[in-house]
Amino acid sequence: MQDERGLIEEARSLDGGYYLLKIAAPRIADAAKPGNFVMVRISPSFDPLLRRPFGILESRPPYIWIYYQVLGHGTRRLSALRHGDSLDILGPLGNSFPDMPGKRVLLIAGGRGIVPLFHYAQAYGGRRPLLLLYGGRGQADLQLLDRIKALRLQGLFIFSEDGSLGQKGLLTDGLEKIVREERPDVTLACGPDAMLARLALMLKGRGLENHASLEALMGCGFGACHGCAIRTADGSYRKVCDEGPVFPLEEIQWPT
Amino acid sequence: MADLSADLGFCTLKNPVITASGTFGYGEEFLPFYDLDILGAIVMKGIFRGPRSGNPPPRLHETPAGLLNSIGLAGPGADKLQEIIRRLRAKTSAPIIDNVCGEDDDEFAEVAGIFSGMDEVAMLELNISCPNVKKGGACPAQDPGHTARLVKRVKAGIRKPLVVKLSPNAPDIVGVAQAAQDAGADALSLVNTFLGLAVDLEARKPVFANVYAGLSGPAIKPLALKLVREVCLRAFVPVIGIGGIASGRDVLDYILVGAAAVQIGTINFCEPRAAARIIAEIGMEMDRLQIKSLSEIRGKLQA
Repeated sequence: MQDERGLIEEARSLDGGYYLLKIAAPRIADAAKPGNFVMVRISPSFDPLLRRPFGILESRPPYIWIYYQVLGHGTRRLSALRHGDSLDILGPLGNSFPDMPGKRVLLIAGGRGIVPLFHYAQAYGGRRPLLLLYGGRGQADLQLLDRIKALRLQGLFIFSEDGSLGQKGLLTDGLEKIVREERPDVTLACGPDAMLARLALMLKGRGLENHASLEALMGCGFGACHGCAIRTADGSYRKVCDEGPVFPLEEIQWPT
Repeated sequence: MADLSADLGFCTLKNPVITASGTFGYGEEFLPFYDLDILGAIVMKGIFRGPRSGNPPPRLHETPAGLLNSIGLAGPGADKLQEIIRRLRAKTSAPIIDNVCGEDDDEFAEVAGIFSGMDEVAMLELNISCPNVKKGGACPAQDPGHTARLVKRVKAGIRKPLVVKLSPNAPDIVGVAQAAQDAGADALSLVNTFLGLAVDLEARKPVFANVYAGLSGPAIKPLALKLVREVCLRAFVPVIGIGGIASGRDVLDYILVGAAAVQIGTINFCEPRAAARIIAEIGMEMDRLQIKSLSEIRGKLQA
């Protein structure tokens, strides 16, 4: 874990309130593994008070890329930062996706859930067979396609609820067919809780190994505050920050 | 160079900065950030006899310069914490303060007895003030009579100094402070979090399952400073000031109203190295203001 002053190299505003930040943070970029996240102090003042967690989209030392959507006060403040501004960044934090040598891996990304899966594909693409199922409400939730197409994927399946891109429907509508025809050994997923809950139901008993990266409100990001608890199937709580953010999909108690 | 030592009567800390319970994990979480030996003391996250899973999420809600939390004293229980404390002792020489919790007086006394027996523990802090344990936020620190009874009982079963942590939600915190010191408390620490409410307008529901949650962070500093001053005006035991501290100047403000030492809390989350920075700032501010020792300004507010 590093505590680093990151310098914003590029801040790009994209459709639908999404942003792409390229940040020079050499020590974090060096250490980052797919699935890790960072805690960003958006302002040295108390506005906002807490750091915000962001997944790492890509790390190519000395840079990391953060892809996020403006959802509240913190991300709105972050979106005002420009080239040359600096940020206090803590990371890389949390666990990472398991390496899957020799396995056929299906990546399942809902909207900005693409972030850690992109990182995984960037790290392992070409070294093992990777497929990506990418879904969102519409085109704005399905960005970065130029970058995604440059990854060495064996298959890319796109679903949009409004039909503006790829096939019309939820990504879970396409899951059954993809699993049947492409025969993955492993799924790695990241997206809204409702999507992950549906995946857990659909993938149960299929003999696949399934992992999901979770999102949570976090106070510290390194295990001290116990604020990011998530309930597991046995009724106990786990901390998303330092026991996750990647968990076996079936270990989580999803809302029914 | 200014003398930062903080006199608690029964012991002297190398400086007044103590990390507050619940905001510093079990100390180990902060080992990657700085040498914990620099701290005045470390307070462990509150502990019950057995393991506790804590409250359902959401557990946090940010407010302007503040943080509402409803963690619910999640923890591994007293047996496991003893192992953790032994492990931490091997990593730092900073005094360790164990924060003692209980669902009832029996449990408080039992947990206090366990940690009183540990050589690695310098003193105990009795957490009679956590608002997140019961629905509605009731706790012994609401009531001077209950506080006196509990402090007397716990004190009788231990042979370590006892700090009693007070709630700002008590109708009469000065009365509770007096009850605690009369019953044998060696020091008082205040404040724990202020009860607050956040609502989800869309859902027309409270954000937290427990309805109310505890507010901390820079937002509460003026409220806490007022209560610390009021208690210091009546207390004959040392007072540890807590609430919204984020700088060396904040620490000196608390000393000026009468605190012997302070605890820093929420800032540990935003800035894991905060304690190290704050300790450095205290020395610089004292040099700048030509203050040679904390005792020179302690309780010297001219009002």
